[in-house]
Amino acid sequence: MSATIELGRRALREAIRQPDALLMTMFIPLFFLVVNTGQAAKIFPSGSTEFLEGQGYGAFQLPITLLLAASFGMAALFLVEEIEGGYFDKLRAIPIPRYAIVLGRLVAEGAKGVVLATVIVLLALPFGISIASGPLGFVLLVALTALWGVVYSGFIQLIALKSRSAAAVNSGGLIFFPLLFLTPNFVPRELLTEPMEVAATVNPVTYLMEALRSLILDDLDWGKILPGFGVVAAMGVVMLVLNVRMIERYD
Amino acid sequence: MRLASSPGPKGIEQNEMSGAAVRAEGLVKHYDGREGTVEAVRGVDLEVHAGEVFGFLGPNGAGKSTTVRMLTTLLSITSGRAEVVGIDVARNPDEVRRRIGVALQEAGLDPRQTGRELLVMHGRLFGFGAVEAKERAQQLLALVELEDAADRVIKGYSGGMQRRLDLAAALVHEPEVLFLDEPTTGLDPASRLTVWEELRRINGRGTTVFLTTQYLEEADQLCDRLAIIDGGRIVREGTPAQLKADLRARNGHGPEPTLDDVFLDATGRTRERGAGEVQEVTA
Repeated sequence: MSATIELGRRALREAIRQPDALLMTMFIPLFFLVVNTGQAAKIFPSGSTEFLEGQGYGAFQLPITLLLAASFGMAALFLVEEIEGGYFDKLRAIPIPRYAIVLGRLVAEGAKGVVLATVIVLLALPFGISIASGPLGFVLLVALTALWGVVYSGFIQLIALKSRSAAAVNSGGLIFFPLLFLTPNFVPRELLTEPMEVAATVNPVTYLMEALRSLILDDLDWGKILPGFGVVAAMGVVMLVLNVRMIERYD
Repeated sequence: MRLASSPGPKGIEQNEMSGAAVRAEGLVKHYDGREGTVEAVRGVDLEVHAGEVFGFLGPNGAGKSTTVRMLTTLLSITSGRAEVVGIDVARNPDEVRRRIGVALQEAGLDPRQTGRELLVMHGRLFGFGAVEAKERAQQLLALVELEDAADRVIKGYSGGMQRRLDLAAALVHEPEVLFLDEPTTGLDPASRLTVWEELRRINGRGTTVFLTTQYLEEADQLCDRLAIIDGGRIVREGTPAQLKADLRARNGHGPEPTLDDVFLDATGRTRERGAGEVQEVTA
């Protein structure tokens, strides 16, 4: 465990020394928030749109911003850079559990996710967006976003370990966009056309988005919150098992 | 050849190596490539004595790096057996990792850390306490003469500085055997001489050095004994002086052979044919 923490600290130092990467991770999702809200806010006025629960359309869009920011992790890119540069082998030649090499980066992704989610929510507050579920809801919102960041980074790390190629990692990162857009990202699920509703229902990201949205728009509604955490937990277990297996068998 | 066994520290089975720091028997590595199975190493037998500098030479693609990667636990062994300080590489890889230092072909470093941070972290990963790790990092920075650059990020280091830091990182835990895969490739002559000095100093402290190189002058200068690998098999083994004397004896009278001549003879290459691969050779 101490090796995981040590490598996690290193990954955090790395992130701090790449402020441009962190800024882009924030800028693109905030850009989408502004653009999407600007385009659709008049169609969905807060006073007459029931699903907004009295808030503006920006509050409805905030989960997409959070998920996007959490999905722009750099862990896999840094990992593949180390594989190509040889430092990965240097770490493999040290008597530490090999899983610590991948878990260290994921621990750092989690910490980064907490900071990013907190900053984005704080930036959103002055624009009339509030967290209706209160302080506990805010903590859950940040935690769920950060956990998703860990899970998603873990899956992209699998591509890094398998392909050992930065190009493949970059392409793999694009997988998230279809997943994000096959969700009720502009309107609630019940307002989608039937094929889209079916697609959204089988897409695990939907439950994550609905959990985040519920934390922003509603009181603590565990019926919506728990499925979100359930999705992250299930995907997290799969991701962890695959990461550990792949690095243990890395040759 | 069978090796007698005796219980070692922490219950790890250690073999009586009669002074052998590294021993390989029938070491084989096959890869599954697109065009079928690639036989990268085809039955390497070698023995490195404790305290010596052992040179491992061969043309590009001969199997040098693959052999080193198997000996350093980084690559699985298809068949055969390897031991480092009497510990079976395949059975007890973690115990082997505690005893070896590794600096591979590219100076594998984390470019976003400072030299000091990297060495402290390596110390911590080898189980040192925080204070001990800092002290060890300081000692090593002094050893490789990087104290002035210690708090700069590695990205800004020159090739020679990176090589020296890579060496320092491989020495954090005072390994018994140091594996160096082409440690001076790409360095200017001054940096190469500095690395040679470091190696002599490290070896002088009792560390066994297993060195792969394409520079025969380097092998001649540094190595007590050497082996030449070609096509995945060892084709010559001995001290540089022995290998030259053998060639002279076979060729009869003529000019004193150099290690280049030994290399070309062993690998069946002529100067013309091998020009692309060994053109740096000047010994």
